[in-house]
Amino acid sequence: MSKSKFFKVFTGLAISTMLLAACNSEGAGSSNDGEKGEKDASDIEVVFIPKMTGNAFFESGNDGAQEMAEKIGFNVKYDGAPEGTVANQVQIINSAVNSGADAIAISSVSSDGLNQALQKALDAGIKVVTWDSDVDPKYRSAYINQGTPDILGAMLVDMAAEQLENPDEPQQVAWFYSSPTVPDQNSWVDYAEKYIAEKYPNWEIATKQFGEGNEQVSLQKGESILDTYPDIDVIICPDSTALPAMAQAAQNKGLNKEDVVITGFASPNSMRQYIENETIENHGLWDVKDQGALAVYIAYHLAQGNELKVGGTIDVPELGEVKVEPNTVQGYDYEAEDSGIIILPERIVFTKENTNDYDF
Amino acid sequence: MLKKIPKWNLVLLTTLLAEIIIFGLINPRFWNIKILLNSFNDFVGIAIIAFFVTFVIITGGIDISGGSIIGLTSVVTGLLSQVYGMNMWGAALLAVLAGGLCGLLNGVLIAYTRVQAMVITLGGMLLYSGIALVLVGMSGASTYEGISGFSQGFINLANGKIWSIPHSVIIFVVMLLIAYVLLHWTRYGRYIYLTGINQNSAEYSGINTRKIITSTYVLSGLSAGIAGIILTSYLGSSRADFGAEYLMPILTAVVLGGTLITGGKGGVVGTALASIIIGFLKLGLQMGGVQTQYIGLATGMLLIISVAFMGGQKFKVNVRRLLNFKKDREVI
Repeated sequence: MSKSKFFKVFTGLAISTMLLAACNSEGAGSSNDGEKGEKDASDIEVVFIPKMTGNAFFESGNDGAQEMAEKIGFNVKYDGAPEGTVANQVQIINSAVNSGADAIAISSVSSDGLNQALQKALDAGIKVVTWDSDVDPKYRSAYINQGTPDILGAMLVDMAAEQLENPDEPQQVAWFYSSPTVPDQNSWVDYAEKYIAEKYPNWEIATKQFGEGNEQVSLQKGESILDTYPDIDVIICPDSTALPAMAQAAQNKGLNKEDVVITGFASPNSMRQYIENETIENHGLWDVKDQGALAVYIAYHLAQGNELKVGGTIDVPELGEVKVEPNTVQGYDYEAEDSGIIILPERIVFTKENTNDYDF
Repeated sequence: MLKKIPKWNLVLLTTLLAEIIIFGLINPRFWNIKILLNSFNDFVGIAIIAFFVTFVIITGGIDISGGSIIGLTSVVTGLLSQVYGMNMWGAALLAVLAGGLCGLLNGVLIAYTRVQAMVITLGGMLLYSGIALVLVGMSGASTYEGISGFSQGFINLANGKIWSIPHSVIIFVVMLLIAYVLLHWTRYGRYIYLTGINQNSAEYSGINTRKIITSTYVLSGLSAGIAGIILTSYLGSSRADFGAEYLMPILTAVVLGGTLITGGKGGVVGTALASIIIGFLKLGLQMGGVQTQYIGLATGMLLIISVAFMGGQKFKVNVRRLLNFKKDREVI
């Protein structure tokens, strides 16, 4: 009974597929015919991919990207999924390839899970740029980096040291960030510890705690740090969830910046209240709007047919001249003429004076 | 009862054709057969599990652990082949069997303790993803990076092509055929329906319903294992969080495919059509310029509307009643 019906449906499908194939005689093809040279700006579409949507950090990156696109006249499509998973990002890359985008600028959730999809994008003639979080350098032209581990590690230590009356005296220091497995935060902390050993040899690392990027866990861990180490002098949180949670924990215990120095990386919107009620003195981040703008501009620049040259410079409207560094500055072995790292020109330390100038 | 199903399949087929026409008009690249076939890669895992979850749901149960079995399979494959240096295909086979074992655990607990399937598979879901995380820890790779470095042969399993037909399409068709034959052509399949329609009377008529129920979970676990291997090959890396977001898409494909969530009625052809509809919907909306984060909205609406219409006559009556109710209130 259902046998014949199955075949009816099956033949139906087969016929419609064939019809489709016939319609498609022109064969749009998935390559951009390898065109070179100047293209009209309005013909160029850059797909701007965050790790996930609905997160203040990435939304601000998109604001910057859209402003840049409007200024120059090219198109930026913001495309991300609410859950930052490899499968979702792969599908978004595929859809960029399918819909004929010219370039993508992606903040990757995995250092190797996107390789196949990116290879297909490259084969289709799409330019690939990463920002915020990198992939294997073989699969992208440029990585728009917020700062090398050296820059950011030193920045963390300096932000803490400048609050201390006498930073050369012995200090109890705690690290508090998302997890022992997250590559970028660990690389900053590794360098920061080297920097401390050189510059402030009297500092002692009392503990390292992890908040798993979860607000509740982070708040509990933050409180337990204050309970377990009542003599702690400095707590450094290079994680956008750990830092506000730590400040909240200190506030819950009635502590302020005179009692314990808390600093780290988080967006100004999430920290403004703690700066204003003097729970903390300062914290830092890079301007993610600039990072988004730079990422889509570089992607656009490459899509126009320009070559990326390591060691060369690119003139970016509003942001000035940026230099293309070799991959080795981030510790990669892979080196190629057309694959490099562009470091964001500046990072910001937020204090009471300037925090209201930023909205992200 | 069974006669109604093909009618629903016809509705699904019309929806599919309408989708292809409409999205093609919006973006003509959608009519590129290559793009359509390649898009199977993005939902073949969901479809394969959905075929066999259809079995489970027909018996009146539910299996929500499929997504986390994917993660576990993926990690087992990576661990055995990359860390312990086993033969790639042997490792893949063992990993699929591990998926089947998870299904067996689910099935035995559900069939022999008669605890609600939802509760057992929810526990299974947490258990299997937990084991996957522990195993990644054992491998020495960070959970953030996963295990990579698979051979090109394995990568080709999902990424390759035969006569310009992607492997994922072939796997989709083969799995559909297996599921179809099992469910619609064999005595075993008939027993599944009978168990779902009335477990007690099936038992009285000499069917070992416990075995039937257990076996459907084993099949569902095995299929999740296969999906895990395909996903690992497709993404070229093994991670514990693969498949984490597959729970809802799997159930959506089954329910939209016309399988009754209370059991006893349904079929795999509907599930297959529904997974293609959902896959193409996602593709079409993305190609039409809709941001991925809003696509859940469209899938949700499609599901609600279609399930409401599946009620047929009843739906019309109820809508009329609902509208009248509103009128009455306005009068008051």
